[in-house]
Amino acid sequence: MRVKIDGEHCTGHGRCAKYAPNVFILDDDGYNADRGNEIDVPAGEEENAKRGMKSCPERAITLVAE
Amino acid sequence: MNETRADMEADPEVAPEVLKARFGRDIARDFDLDDPMFNDRFDEVLTFMVNKCPISFSKVGTGYHLVNTNEQVRRVAQDWRTFSSAKGYMPNRPEGLPYLMPEESDPPMHTNWRHKLNPHMSPKVIATYEDVIRQDCNVLIDTFIEKGECEFISEFGALLPGWAFFKNVLGVPIDDLAMLVEGVEQGTFALPAEERPSHMARVFTYLDTHLKWRATQPKRGDVIDTILEGVIYDDGTEAPWDHKVSILVDLTFGGIATTTFVMSSAIHYLAMHPEVRQQLIDDPSLIENAVEEFSRVFPPVIALGRTCTRDVEVAGTEMKEGDFVMLTWGAASRDPRAMEEPEKIDIKRETILHSTFGVGPHRCIGSNLARLELTTTIEEWLRRIPEFSLREGTAPVYVTGFLRSMRELQLVWPK
Repeated sequence: MRVKIDGEHCTGHGRCAKYAPNVFILDDDGYNADRGNEIDVPAGEEENAKRGMKSCPERAITLVAE
Repeated sequence: MNETRADMEADPEVAPEVLKARFGRDIARDFDLDDPMFNDRFDEVLTFMVNKCPISFSKVGTGYHLVNTNEQVRRVAQDWRTFSSAKGYMPNRPEGLPYLMPEESDPPMHTNWRHKLNPHMSPKVIATYEDVIRQDCNVLIDTFIEKGECEFISEFGALLPGWAFFKNVLGVPIDDLAMLVEGVEQGTFALPAEERPSHMARVFTYLDTHLKWRATQPKRGDVIDTILEGVIYDDGTEAPWDHKVSILVDLTFGGIATTTFVMSSAIHYLAMHPEVRQQLIDDPSLIENAVEEFSRVFPPVIALGRTCTRDVEVAGTEMKEGDFVMLTWGAASRDPRAMEEPEKIDIKRETILHSTFGVGPHRCIGSNLARLELTTTIEEWLRRIPEFSLREGTAPVYVTGFLRSMRELQLVWPK
């Protein structure tokens, strides 16, 4: 599974890292450290990643590949 | 469910005379945030609006649009180029009210400040306040637990967020909290609205004095020092002093005027729902999720505004350059298009999508602190006072405008 974190729309709600701390890492400002980039979701973390994505009030994380 | 203006106009349930009979006014075309009816029938009105009125209009003052669905609120909030914050977040802004930075500004000015301020409010930094906040919860509970009763707002809810913010973030004495809470409350809800600027002026004067004093003191490396250090705007100029003061006012405003409502509403809900209380006592790991659900359904900031920088269409409604638009966060957080059974309060909800902390670049900078205060409060309250209820014959007292606040909550428990 591969997801993209939108560089402009991530505004630091931190919901992604709350639900999927092994997938989404926050930087020192509390924003997604990978914003602007695509990342691979580690095997076994797909459900957490989806929950993090769905909880993002900005819809800043989108699915690139299942 | 209606998706556009045209759907709404064709819906017999949204006909002007039907709305007047049901709500006492045409809430689709003549809404008023300050109407006491909205305060009294808050949940019913928001649910009606999100379902039936993707967009509604107010004729109060110069008038404003209200955008009410999850998707449209997000679209407008994210599109800061078209929907500017620089003319303020309040509809019919009273004369003489200074603009609050960075909330009432747009990128790049807004971004300059947020980059400086965000590190002070990140989850990592906020987590270091936990012990002090937990201790303060207990200091407050100690003052009334033996009585077997309390008025929650004045004895806990209006104090804890202020203490947490003053002690950990601002470093100002908590003795001055009551005056500032009063200034902020009156500055928000006083009627007629023309009285609001004079109340806010007291808050500005106090914080201006504090900032001047801190400028003479050794550096602490805290958020005040960051504000004093300032930023350079894109045109090469330094942020002026009044911007620095208004940043401190904005942070204080957010730090003391909002979390109290979610906290009081959550405690009220738990007083009325022993079964939910028991679930949280049996499994405190559910509390964080409960806090998210309580934040969704008990929003302290009902709506904030933007100004159109050009002609634009939203949900089939033409808006003109200069029009004022309120983003109804409170309605968008109960949108059946975005979640199942939004009217139901479910602390075990798997996905909790809400806009209580706003959406877009102006996302509440204190959201991490608010969540910590709420989680810690519920943990400590249930540990110390596991059984409690609303005092018989009483009901919470609310006041609502573009913010919602609880004024009184009488609780009792076995001594």
